[in-house]
Amino acid sequence: MSQFDAQDWITRLFLRLRRRGYLLGVDEYQAALEAIVAGYAQNEEALLELVQILWCNSRSQQNQLVLIWKDLQRDIQKQQDLHDNLKDRLEKESSKSERSQEENDSRESLKPKPLAREVELQPKQEVASLPVQAPSFTATEREGLLSLQNYFPVSRRSMVYGWRFLRRPVADGCKNVLDIPATIQTVTEQGYYLAPVYRRRQRNGARLLVLVDQNGSMMPFHRFSRDLVETAQDESLLQEENVQVFYFHNVPASHVYQDVYLTKPIPIQDVLGQCNGDTSILIVSDAGAARGYRRQERIQNTTRFLLQLRKRSRLIAWLNPMSRKRWVGSSAEILAYLVPMFQMDRFGFGEAIDVLRGVAKASTEGDDEG
Amino acid sequence: MKEALKFEGKDLRQQPIGAHEKAPKEPEPYIVGDRLKTAVNLAIALRRPLLLEGDPGCGKTCLAKAVAFELGLPFFRWDVQSISKAQDGQYVYDALGRLHDVQLQKSEKASRRDPSKPGDYCEMGALGEAFEIKDRSSVVLIDEIDKAELDFPNDLLTVLDKPWRFQVKETGQSIQADPNHIPIVFITSNKEKGNLPDAFLRRCLYHYVEFPSDPKELKKIIDRHYEIENLNRQEDEKVERPKENLQDAAITRFLSIRTEGGLVRKPGTSEFLDWLKALQTFMAKPYSADKLMGEDQAEKRLPYPELLLKVQQDWRKFKPAT
Repeated sequence: MSQFDAQDWITRLFLRLRRRGYLLGVDEYQAALEAIVAGYAQNEEALLELVQILWCNSRSQQNQLVLIWKDLQRDIQKQQDLHDNLKDRLEKESSKSERSQEENDSRESLKPKPLAREVELQPKQEVASLPVQAPSFTATEREGLLSLQNYFPVSRRSMVYGWRFLRRPVADGCKNVLDIPATIQTVTEQGYYLAPVYRRRQRNGARLLVLVDQNGSMMPFHRFSRDLVETAQDESLLQEENVQVFYFHNVPASHVYQDVYLTKPIPIQDVLGQCNGDTSILIVSDAGAARGYRRQERIQNTTRFLLQLRKRSRLIAWLNPMSRKRWVGSSAEILAYLVPMFQMDRFGFGEAIDVLRGVAKASTEGDDEG
Repeated sequence: MKEALKFEGKDLRQQPIGAHEKAPKEPEPYIVGDRLKTAVNLAIALRRPLLLEGDPGCGKTCLAKAVAFELGLPFFRWDVQSISKAQDGQYVYDALGRLHDVQLQKSEKASRRDPSKPGDYCEMGALGEAFEIKDRSSVVLIDEIDKAELDFPNDLLTVLDKPWRFQVKETGQSIQADPNHIPIVFITSNKEKGNLPDAFLRRCLYHYVEFPSDPKELKKIIDRHYEIENLNRQEDEKVERPKENLQDAAITRFLSIRTEGGLVRKPGTSEFLDWLKALQTFMAKPYSADKLMGEDQAEKRLPYPELLLKVQQDWRKFKPAT
């Protein structure tokens, strides 16, 4: 009992970490087992270190793991105590029964055996039932989790990744890209070398117009809209002059603004005048879902605006930073029927990009899941 | 049964016996902590790449070389650039050179490469070379992986996993590492462009290289550094080691600047060593230890701030001492 069972620990820890959202697969589990067999986990400390190296991929995760580890340690200790108690009791009982059996039965050698096996089985059943218990958190631990996960519906990386799909390659640049396979092909056909074959340089012809709702209920999400705009402008494959960003408050009216502080107005007609049928239009707004508003006026105005947009381009998508559950009952629910609206997480963003590049059907129906 | 490789962080001065010809010739002044040692050995045992993160100048890059030196293994370094592609680490094919040589053949100026042999124009990258060494493992360093394009780590993943093989398209050749001698891969990252992809992280072992904030450890690093510096020098060319009191003063002062100075950008180990060297040798006489700890500290002066402070805001916090 006193011997440290690394395999048991690692299995429990693995299950626990997976529930906590660690990205671990069977491969990682097997790697840990392999390391244990190779003698890398002689005691608890060494095992913790092993797991930190093997299963964590940032320092904050390594620190978080220590807390989870302590939790596990506590639980295992608790179980151990329980098990010891049980064993004591059973031993007492069995010795009692042995004594009584010795007195009246001649087959005494058979009976204690199943009892002894039961003693061994008991703790294993405990092991299986343990994960059902709610793990106890300390306050700091829970806060850490919140700030790590809940406030990051979509990471900058996935934004950059998403934007990369928004491309419409047009080979209309200068003819200065050496085409090696074509050159070699020509040489082999002609039998002599005359001149290299050049191709036209490709350019991303996709155009993007981003309209961002600013201030008010969007205040908590400024961080994300800023990331979104920055990644679109600087880290996407889009040509710089093809990305345009304008801001508005609640509903785009006759004017939108060129800066985040809503101080430089520009007539919406001028903005739309630069759009052609291939311009992708992305609207970022909570559509009243953040505060649960459902005002007739706002819906009407937004609808009018959307119809205006529709005349210019069919590649329109709406990103809503509120989760889909919260749309119900607010104006977002109604607007989601008019325009493809997606919640701002990794998948929602990906789908929005699909609409923007015209791959997904920009239909407004069949959007009623959730 | 092959002998398992184990890295112990020994203070070797010379190459171990039987070292590979491509192993580093010079020892690396590197002090390895226990944790890092475990991480390296785990990476070797589990055949997974070891991802090293940490502040710049804390010795992420040197580790791979130190491991290769101690174990006498061939060492290949691949510096990733923003235009690097995953294939560059495997091989580069010189199609143009071949075309060029075909033309030259006709004009009787024969090239040393034969255009009728496609293999002549294939040059192996760091991983390709490592895969081709069959009699022992090799050490591959993929430096600053975060500099490259977003997809780069994912592309790399297919090569850094079973069956450790890739195909040279141009020649149809298949390059495979010996399953008993899988390369030991070190990867460094500064998180310059955000996180690496999940699938890649999952595959890697992770270690964060901390700055050695223990004065004793810094002292060890200084010792080892000067020892190796003087290893191959004649008696009269030896670099003079700073006096004990100057060393101590420099360590104390440096650590206090690092921890209490509220710096925007904290200097690393390599900068510290440079600074110490400047204190010792830049002027005719070494800088006075008493002055460094006494006057200078009291008046927030710092000799040679050029070596430690690299951001304007930090620069303003200390006056240069003369």
